[in-house]
Amino acid sequence: MDDQLIITIIMFVIMFPILMTAVIMYGGQHSDKLRNFLSLFTVLITFIGVLLLYPEAVSGRVFEYQLFEVLPGLAVSFRLDILSYCLVIISSFVWLLAAIYSIGYMAKEHSQLRYYAVLIFTLGSCLGIFLAGDFFTLFIFFELMSLIAYVLVIHEETAEALKAGYKYLVVTIIGGLAIFFGVIICFEAAGTVSIGEGPLITEASSLAWMAFFAFLIGFGIKAGMFPLHVWLPDAHPVAPSPASALLSGIMLKTGAYGLLRMVFDVFSPELMQAINLHAVMMVLGIITIILGSAVALTQDDIKRRLAYSSIGQMGYVVLGMTVFNEQVLTGDIFHIFTHAIMKSTLFLAAGAIIWKSGIKKVSGMAGLGRQMPVTFGCFTVAAFAMIGIPPLNGFLSKWSLCLGFLEDGYIFFVVILLLSSMLNAMYYLPIILPAFLGKEEIEKDLHVDDEGPAFNINEASKWMLIPMVVLALCVFLFGTFPSNIPFELSNMAAKFLLTGGF
Amino acid sequence: MDLISHFPVILVINLFIFAFAMPLISRRSNNWATIAASFSLILSFAISITLLLKVLDTGAISYYLGGWPPPFGIEFYIDYLSAYMLIVLTGMGLLIFYYGTASLPFEIGRHMVGWYYTLYLLLIGAMLGIAITNDLFNLFVFMEISAIAACAIISIKKDRECLEASFKYLILSAMGTGCYLLAVALIYMITGVLNFDMVREVLVDNIALYPNNVLVALALIGVCFCVKAALFPLHVWLPDAHASAPSPSSAVLSGLVIKIYAIALIHLMFRAFPLELFYQVPLTEIFLWLGAIAMILGSIFAMTQDIFKRMLAYSSVAQIGYVFLGIGLFNPTALLGGLLHILNHAIMKSMLFMIAGIIIYTKGLKKVREFDGMGSQLRWTMTAFIVGSASMVGIPITGGFISKWYLATGAFEADRPFFIGVIIASSLLNAIYYFPIAIRAFLGEPKPENLPVRPVLKHMLIPVVILTVLVFYIGMSPQEVVGILELAIDKLFAQ
Amino acid sequence: MEIIDNLVQNYFYLVAIILFIIGMHTMLTHSNLVKKVIAMNIMDTSVFLLFVAVGYVHGGAPPLVEIPAGTETYINPLPSVLILTGIIVALSVTAFALSLVTKIYEYYGTCDADEIADLRSEE
Repeated sequence: MDDQLIITIIMFVIMFPILMTAVIMYGGQHSDKLRNFLSLFTVLITFIGVLLLYPEAVSGRVFEYQLFEVLPGLAVSFRLDILSYCLVIISSFVWLLAAIYSIGYMAKEHSQLRYYAVLIFTLGSCLGIFLAGDFFTLFIFFELMSLIAYVLVIHEETAEALKAGYKYLVVTIIGGLAIFFGVIICFEAAGTVSIGEGPLITEASSLAWMAFFAFLIGFGIKAGMFPLHVWLPDAHPVAPSPASALLSGIMLKTGAYGLLRMVFDVFSPELMQAINLHAVMMVLGIITIILGSAVALTQDDIKRRLAYSSIGQMGYVVLGMTVFNEQVLTGDIFHIFTHAIMKSTLFLAAGAIIWKSGIKKVSGMAGLGRQMPVTFGCFTVAAFAMIGIPPLNGFLSKWSLCLGFLEDGYIFFVVILLLSSMLNAMYYLPIILPAFLGKEEIEKDLHVDDEGPAFNINEASKWMLIPMVVLALCVFLFGTFPSNIPFELSNMAAKFLLTGGF
Repeated sequence: MDLISHFPVILVINLFIFAFAMPLISRRSNNWATIAASFSLILSFAISITLLLKVLDTGAISYYLGGWPPPFGIEFYIDYLSAYMLIVLTGMGLLIFYYGTASLPFEIGRHMVGWYYTLYLLLIGAMLGIAITNDLFNLFVFMEISAIAACAIISIKKDRECLEASFKYLILSAMGTGCYLLAVALIYMITGVLNFDMVREVLVDNIALYPNNVLVALALIGVCFCVKAALFPLHVWLPDAHASAPSPSSAVLSGLVIKIYAIALIHLMFRAFPLELFYQVPLTEIFLWLGAIAMILGSIFAMTQDIFKRMLAYSSVAQIGYVFLGIGLFNPTALLGGLLHILNHAIMKSMLFMIAGIIIYTKGLKKVREFDGMGSQLRWTMTAFIVGSASMVGIPITGGFISKWYLATGAFEADRPFFIGVIIASSLLNAIYYFPIAIRAFLGEPKPENLPVRPVLKHMLIPVVILTVLVFYIGMSPQEVVGILELAIDKLFAQ
Repeated sequence: MEIIDNLVQNYFYLVAIILFIIGMHTMLTHSNLVKKVIAMNIMDTSVFLLFVAVGYVHGGAPPLVEIPAGTETYINPLPSVLILTGIIVALSVTAFALSLVTKIYEYYGTCDADEIADLRSEE
């Protein structure tokens, strides 16, 4: 395929969802079916577009395209390299499944038009973040995505949701301003903010420290890194479950992507090691891992538990970014893949449980597993992968990380990883085991859906089941065969980041 | 008769002629008055565009009133900055006027509309005069005309608060003008001429002989323009005046009037005084710190306000701080940001005041906490409000971001990164009081009193929509505006 | 001593500045609205005085077309002209301010700014 076509496809996958938002808002006013169809259509076409880019991305070439110049030195430009591609493909894939799931989950909800419109828009802006060719474009799409995702967070419009949404909004704006500060410093230091033209900050100075902390705060807020994670445990649970899956699964990764770009394109790994910036990230990463896993133990609400688990898992990603060898980076990027898949499965399953039975608390889920076997089966597979049990994909990413840590002599990190896996087990097993083996306690906390008769607790609708099963299969597939596509992509991306080619 | 060469004076005079003809025309009918006033404003707008194109083509235009060259006569000097301000003034004047035609009969009564047009045209004409004049005393005359007109468009509404606010504004404005006149007297004492360029020529050579005169004159000029541009702490007249006035008056006052005095200050600083003076006298430092304090305190005051228009007025206090931050940092990039912010704020604040007017018209609601649930009934209006507040906060792709970018870059270049922190803190504070209104409007429960009183008039909504589009236009392709401003700033600093 | 000498010789400057300060001070601190308007006038008048005084040339004749013989210099006519304009401007502002004061008196029943502030805060 020639270059012009590639660039057109890149622009297409970003712009198409954003433009279709307007179409959905207009067309969906009159017909629910049309709205659902248009949403699914948009996500599917976007995913196909991303798939079409596969052969070019894995060939190792980098595509850059400048759309227009806003100010002298600042332009809106786009870039596709293997790292972008990794994130783009997992995003569009999970988004597709979440959209299918939404059709089932949101069937009886209010304001569905708003929900679908925002869902599609955030898809476009997420892809814009990953395909951004310079930090200015990244900043634009980052702000857009964060602000519009607010509508997803407050969808339920309960007092709790509004409070969580307000916290999210304030923290997001602070994060946006921090990134703005960082972009200005880079622009002053380097005269440009393009990605891929070599590190923007090349000497250790107070400027470097300021830029580091600005970007760390800005992207760390999004990635849920300690101590900037405070919005996460409130915001992810109050959103509707497919939105939670996307927030936890993909939008956290935008923060991680930003941090990766910061490490490799703003500062180079050598500079970071020279001025010990990576030590800051190491410490924060470790605290995040321990904190996330430990606090998850204390949560009874299943979605809050999953949210804290996300915090812990993102700690792995942050920690992995600080050790610069190929094995660790492969594991790091592969963990982005695996966590996206695992956490989405978990949230979708939790959503199905809540939707069907109204039970939000883990303590009340005893015996449900026998009544919803498929849902809990997917949940179990994903949970085992989180814990790190072979031959699932979570094990593979942790294995890769551990091997890499050992290679560079960071045995302490391996210990931390094992410790957190144990903590993971301690908070996932109490969900799974009583579900399958416990006594039924249906009388507690059952809230009856007003519409229609009180239904039996059996499986959720096929719209909700199929994405879950697909994701669970992915968990299984990408773990069992060591040379699977995401792993290879991660490996290529790691090589690319470290050496510039593969 | 070579009409085109007389465009600079026609620009101003036609507004004055129509202003005085308004009461006669409006005796016939309000519609005639509206048509005549629109014609006059459109004519001025067209002339402004022609002048801008001519200036971009051939360089600055110098026009001698009556053919008398200085120092005998008054000179109108149109360079890039003046042409830019002409477009801003006439363009925004036209849009706000368009909005006013729909909203004024409701706010001040049909019989007063003709008189309002008189004052409005006088105000726009006087501001245009301030933008292009090159003579110290002529500036005084135009400043006084605009002061009277500005006070009058507040007090035209027969409301107790309006009268008191207008009087306060008049007194403080008169104090400012008195200071300015004393400054002119002091400068005239030592230079004997009143034309900006000639004054500068004399001062460049002789400033060492009369340092006290010039310093006192500078201080008095600083005070005058701080009062008139409502820079903290001389902003006390602004909240009352802008909040109690009819909405088009608030829009024009907040959007244009306070800015034109900042432009007059820039003209004086760069054209009438030698540039080296400002590296020795800490006047710009004072502006810098006052602007920074204004940015923070203005937003803090705005957070505590209950009445929507007062909140917007305090927000204006904060935003004029940005312009003075740009002036105070005294380097080309920061000044570019400040000047661009003049345009951005004119657009944003006028739009917000128009939205306030629409809400008062349709619902009769003035307090912020009564705005819950408004979004479902006033969809276009509140969407425009979201865009306006996003621009105030500085979200990218809206215009406000571009001016903040330049200010921040300028702060960096001037080696004072502390002010980037101030800009960021002020953006955050802006978000804290703007976004909750938008959120509550769309998600809150409408109170039972929020039943629609009247439907929105088309003519009120169209300017709001046009301004929203402009916000995005400047946010996404500001190159033309920035290009003109860069030429302007090169000229200012090239002495 | 030199300062006293200079002050005495240029007493009109001193008077003008003193009037200016009196005007500004009264305008800002006295609460009666009419006094504020009067003070504004005093302030403006002081500046006019300064202007005109600046235009005086020692030994100059009034700038008339038909002059007595033997005059070599005229006083500077420009400040007088400027002040004419200035007086008219001050006049218009005073007229407007007084009309506002009248209206305020009608509405509030008092001409005192402090009392008006009290009345407003009671609303």
